Amino acid sequence: MLRNNIISAIVILVIVQIFSSCRAKDDHPGVEYAPNMYHSVPYEGLSQITDESEGKWLSSRIDEKGEYFNTNVNNPHNMNMREPVPGTVKRTEDGYLPYRIPKDSVELAGRILTNPLDSTTEVINQGKELYARFCVHCHGENGQGDGKVGVVFKGVPPYNVGRVKDLSEGYVFHVITMGKGRMGAHGSQVSYEDRWKIVRYVQTLQNQN
Amino acid sequence: MKVSSCCWRLTSLAFTLLFLLISNISFAQEAGDSEIPSDESVISSGETLFNNNCRVCHAVHEQVVGPALNEVYVRRPLPWLQEFIKNSQKVIQGGDEYAVNLYNQFNKTEMPSFDFSNEEVLSILAYVKSETEKGPAVAQTTDAAGGEGVAAQPGSTVDSGFVTAILIALLVVLVLILVVLGILISVVTKYIKQKSELNETDQEIVDQKFSLIKLAKSPGFIWIVTFVFTAIVLKTVIDGLLTVGVQAGYAPTQPIAFSHKLHAGDFEIDCNYCHTGVRISKNANIPSPNICMNCHSGINKVTGATESSKEIQKIYDAIENNEPIRWVRVHNLPDLAYFNHSQHVKVGGIECQTCHGPVETMEVVQQSTSLTMGWCIDCHRKTEINSQGNEYYDKLVELHSETSKDPMVVEDIGGLECAKCHY
Ligand code: HEC
Ligand code: HEC
Ligand code: HEC
Ligand code: HEC
Ligand code: HEC
Ligand code: HEC
Ligand code: HEC
Repeated sequence: MLRNNIISAIVILVIVQIFSSCRAKDDHPGVEYAPNMYHSVPYEGLSQITDESEGKWLSSRIDEKGEYFNTNVNNPHNMNMREPVPGTVKRTEDGYLPYRIPKDSVELAGRILTNPLDSTTEVINQGKELYARFCVHCHGENGQGDGKVGVVFKGVPPYNVGRVKDLSEGYVFHVITMGKGRMGAHGSQVSYEDRWKIVRYVQTLQNQN
Repeated sequence: MKVSSCCWRLTSLAFTLLFLLISNISFAQEAGDSEIPSDESVISSGETLFNNNCRVCHAVHEQVVGPALNEVYVRRPLPWLQEFIKNSQKVIQGGDEYAVNLYNQFNKTEMPSFDFSNEEVLSILAYVKSETEKGPAVAQTTDAAGGEGVAAQPGSTVDSGFVTAILIALLVVLVLILVVLGILISVVTKYIKQKSELNETDQEIVDQKFSLIKLAKSPGFIWIVTFVFTAIVLKTVIDGLLTVGVQAGYAPTQPIAFSHKLHAGDFEIDCNYCHTGVRISKNANIPSPNICMNCHSGINKVTGATESSKEIQKIYDAIENNEPIRWVRVHNLPDLAYFNHSQHVKVGGIECQTCHGPVETMEVVQQSTSLTMGWCIDCHRKTEINSQGNEYYDKLVELHSETSKDPMVVEDIGGLECAKCHY
């Protein structure tokens, strides 16, 4: 009698263990309910299942690969995301054309570019917000080059002294877009219009004492 | 005679040439050094120019981004220095051997050009010279800071060790008390038995033996055990069932040990800097290696480490081989649900942490909320619309406040309609 009891207790404990292992933890994503509804049939960006046998046990695919195999074999590196065709022009409502001044022509950019946005408080405040997102960790809150990353990265100039104080708006725009010297290009992260907003804010930092 | 006079002339010519040459060289070398002024006023204006323009990349006694400048006026002739400082790229492109070597030695780091007059360059050099002669500063602040950082860590481990030690000590004391109590009981029983002037009931109490088996077989005990056992089993099973299809707690190992704690926490890099899509599209996006390289072009090791980091090396490898880094996706809704970041972050003004938990403290990203439908709906029932400065909502808020006194929540704009989230 006692033995039976113990055996059934153990069986119950095993079942409990199985249920409690449904939980996601570390590398284990957890058990899925109706997994077919979770896994994407079309290619999904930012995720990629390269294992051809994944989900084989319930596969209904004609090519006999696993149901969850989700990889675009026609793309370089089997990526699911595609890069745009070279030379693609992004259409914006303001009709800005792609920026075409080459990286090393920063002096030229400094001479010919002008800011399409007026220096209103609204633009400057928006510029400040953007500056806090994209520049502050290197250039520091007041543009002194003392941001936390800037200190480790080294060589970040203050805006309001020396040569940098007198840089023109076009020059600063070009530096954000293409980078200069040790500073990387930020054109892929900040949109055209936002870059001009940042320029307006940087100008207030250049002119501080 | 003719021959000898010719010979003499030749030798004298050679000597004059040699003399001229030597004097020229020593003159040039002198010039680099002696033409540099040593007035206090010139040095102090040089100091300002140096601090404003050069200090970010140069120090006099140590290499920063560019070389240490001590004795540069001895190393190089003055005209070269003036030309190089005003426009270093011109000198390098002109093919000057020393400049090209230096440029390559510094990984082709470009020194910006400066619109200085010769006097200004001279004043900077005057400052460099006066600093060179002063010699390097003795106080090594960086070392002290590093030492502190190292010292702090053993401190914290000692702390936790201390706590365990206290716990163990307490346990020992408890066991000792138990033993003493046991001895006391047996001594007292013995003593009472010896007296043997007890009546019947007292005798029974004294003779009573504590029996585990008897206790285990008592119905009350069995009932309690069964109850506790069933309760635990039920709770675990239900908990387990509720986590089916919910991935909260998932924290996969990533191909590069990228730490949000270090980047977003310690170094305070804004989430938007890397997750660039978060305000403009459905997806937040994982940064591509070129964004990592904005910083890691110049940072290839952790502060204090002597060797460059293997993890950062993986970024360089990815770029060199033109291969994407295969990050493992953590948060992923099923295909049947639609979620848009810009609607929530830009329009709704919701912080990342509301939905993703304290990412800036995570070494490895973990899904910290359930991301179930109930979770979405719950928030849509409770959260007010962020209508400030958003003309789109002006009329809606007006209409809403005519019929209701409660603030307008997401539910009121249709946040519970199936088709908003399912397609
Ligand atoms: C990874 C750190 C980093 C970030 C982020 C960064 N910068 Fe820089 N920035 C630098 C460094 C380093 C330099 C010095 C470049 C050089 O001359 O080698 C620099 C130089 C500059 C200059 C002066 C260029 C010159 O000719 O001397 C401007 C203007 C500038 N940055 C603007 C910005 C703006 C605006 C942003 C935000 C969109 C930004 N930077 C973001 C590191 C950074
Ligand atoms: C953006 C960083 C940067 C700034 C700012 C900078 N330099 Fe340099 N400098 C360098 C680098 C890097 C080199 C090494 C050569 C090269 O890569 O072009 C260098 C080289 C030099 C050299 C040659 C050193 C040698 O050992 O021969 C001198 C002199 C010099 N710089 C002076 C200056 C002065 C003066 C200023 C300020 C007016 C200045 N630099 C500002 C980065 C900088
Ligand atoms: C804005 C600057 C910045 C960007 C962008 C950045 N990092 Fe870093 N990273 C740092 C800094 C600063 C450190 C710490 C250096 C130190 O401790 O001195 C660091 C350290 C690291 C380390 C730690 C190395 C180790 O051995 O512990 C790894 C790994 C790393 N970064 C990977 C990445 C990856 C991958 C990306 C791109 C998604 C990236 N970083 C983008 C600034 C940045
Ligand atoms: C230096 C760049 C960088 C910064 C800054 C950064 N992240 Fe990330 N983030 C990454 C990278 C790279 C990954 C992919 C690797 C991983 O999951 O650890 C990632 C992954 C994530 C993920 C998981 C994505 C998934 O697969 O589900 C979340 C959520 C996230 N970040 C939120 C944040 C938040 C919130 C912040 C601001 C506090 C932030 N990140 C700041 C680079 C960054
Ligand atoms: C209202 C809740 C919510 C907020 C606020 C939010 N996220 Fe997310 N995030 C999600 C959900 C839900 C997913 C899964 C999306 C999917 O699978 O389609 C996700 C996915 C992600 C991912 C990985 C997949 C992707 O879409 O790129 C990253 C990275 C991420 N979030 C970063 C951020 C950052 C950074 C912020 C703050 C600026 C943020 N999130 C704010 C709910 C939120
Ligand atoms: C932290 C609270 C919160 C959570 C969690 C949340 N939402 Fe929202 N959601 C909002 C707010 C606030 C808005 C309104 C934004 C606006 O002003 O348009 C919104 C709007 C929406 C809308 C647009 C509704 C409309 O009528 O235009 C959709 C779709 C949506 N959410 C989907 C989701 C999904 C799917 C999830 C779960 C994965 C989710 N939300 C989780 C707060 C939340
Ligand atoms: C705010 C957004 C939102 C709204 C509104 C919403 N859902 Fe959902 N629903 C979700 C999300 C997100 C999931 C996925 C949950 C998960 O992964 O566990 C989901 C899952 C489901 C599922 C389960 C599918 C499965 O495989 O688990 C059903 C069924 C469902 N929704 C039906 C509905 C119906 C019917 C309505 C309208 C009454 C509705 N939903 C409205 C966001 C929403």
